Amino acid sequence: MNNDSPLKAIMVVTVTALVCSVLVTVAAVTLRPIQRAYEDLERIRFIVRVSGLSESVETMSDLEVIGAFQDLEIRLVDLDRGAFDSSNNPDTFDAREAATEPQFRVAIPAELDVASLGTRSSLETVYLLRDGETLQRVILPIHGQGMWSTIYGFLALESDLNTIAALTISEQGETPGIGDVILNPEWQARWQGRRLYDEQRSLRFRISREVVAANTEDASYHVDGLAGATVTLNGVMNLMRYWFGPHGYSRFLQNLSETEGS
Amino acid sequence: MMRARQALLNPLIDENPVTLHILGICSAVAISNSLYSALVMSVALTSVLVFSNVVISMIRRHLPSSVRIIVQMTIIASGVIVVDELLRAFAPEIAQTLSVFVGLIITNCIVLGRAEAFATQHGVALSFLDAIGNGLGFSLILISVAIIRELLGTGSLLDVGIFKPVSEGGWFEPNAFFMLPPSAFFIIGGIIWAVRSWKKEQVESPEFEPISVAELESD
Repeated sequence: MNNDSPLKAIMVVTVTALVCSVLVTVAAVTLRPIQRAYEDLERIRFIVRVSGLSESVETMSDLEVIGAFQDLEIRLVDLDRGAFDSSNNPDTFDAREAATEPQFRVAIPAELDVASLGTRSSLETVYLLRDGETLQRVILPIHGQGMWSTIYGFLALESDLNTIAALTISEQGETPGIGDVILNPEWQARWQGRRLYDEQRSLRFRISREVVAANTEDASYHVDGLAGATVTLNGVMNLMRYWFGPHGYSRFLQNLSETEGS
Repeated sequence: MMRARQALLNPLIDENPVTLHILGICSAVAISNSLYSALVMSVALTSVLVFSNVVISMIRRHLPSSVRIIVQMTIIASGVIVVDELLRAFAPEIAQTLSVFVGLIITNCIVLGRAEAFATQHGVALSFLDAIGNGLGFSLILISVAIIRELLGTGSLLDVGIFKPVSEGGWFEPNAFFMLPPSAFFIIGGIIWAVRSWKKEQVESPEFEPISVAELESD
């Protein structure tokens, strides 16, 4: 057949497209489990970092991280009921995937959707650190829209279920050098000891660039904003408002503090 | 035999894709601040190049000229995606460091350039050797630049200390400039200058005659 006939061109293009798509698909599907294992390990590393189980997660080997992770109790929380869920397996449940499955997907009412999520899973995986029977820390996954990307992270609360023990950002795609200051360990360290709710149990925690005098009551609810990263930090503030508001963990934290809190 | 030798060895210095054709500068500038990334990038680019050259050479007699480039791009892009997936599965940390630059191999002019200039006109074996040669030519420059940058920028190579930095009680003051992309421009420029001083035939003839000052004044 003549190489320059339109029919030949269509044939060559079709065959190339088919063969290449098969090649790419096979590579993606067969390698996915291996990539997945690495992503899980990365996630575990972030969780161990905020758990306070280890001072220096960066220098720990993969096995040590997994070992430390074993000390945490993994539970599923039904956010609407604010209670633990026992009908699904917390080890295999993936809230991010579940947010797209009809069985678990919950549409977030527009007026509550301050973090621009649209939908979330009805269940979230939380991690509890106990010393014997007493609860020491609760680690809660959080996410929300930043400037360019969805920011994912973990927030660890002390046993009073109100004081922040640690924050870590596990995934983000904010502007390099500007919005990605949220990864800065010094800034993340400033979250430690800040409180979420006031006596009336309304969310008083704020990120702002206002000058707040140290050692005042206001300061204990306040994290400094960072110049230049306003939109990203508004995103972080919004996701805090969502996840610690009525549609997030608020009910669960209240229930948990009644049963276990100190 | 002679042609095979040429296909393999010429791209190393005489027809080096980076220093003679000035191709692949984007990745050579971006990833050359650490020797390890440079090594992984070299392997990645060479594999894509071998894959695309061999496949395109195999189908060269059935390639309609009207859709030639898009078919070549599809093959190159598929090769790059496979390499990217492999890196993310087996070397996820380095895949994160290289980030978009693995994907950008698709637009690396060396790959399409060799496909278009060589693989569409030569047999499979020669195209394979040409790919290896050009991959090595690119790697040679990338790795040389990376050695200079990492050594002068940090005082170590592959995390092995060579020069002891002042901060650890040694004598070497790491020059942070070498960790920044612009330094690669100067180093590549220096290498091009050195190669062209040695191999005068690589010097391009000027595109226009510079106007002399005397001529300007006479106007």
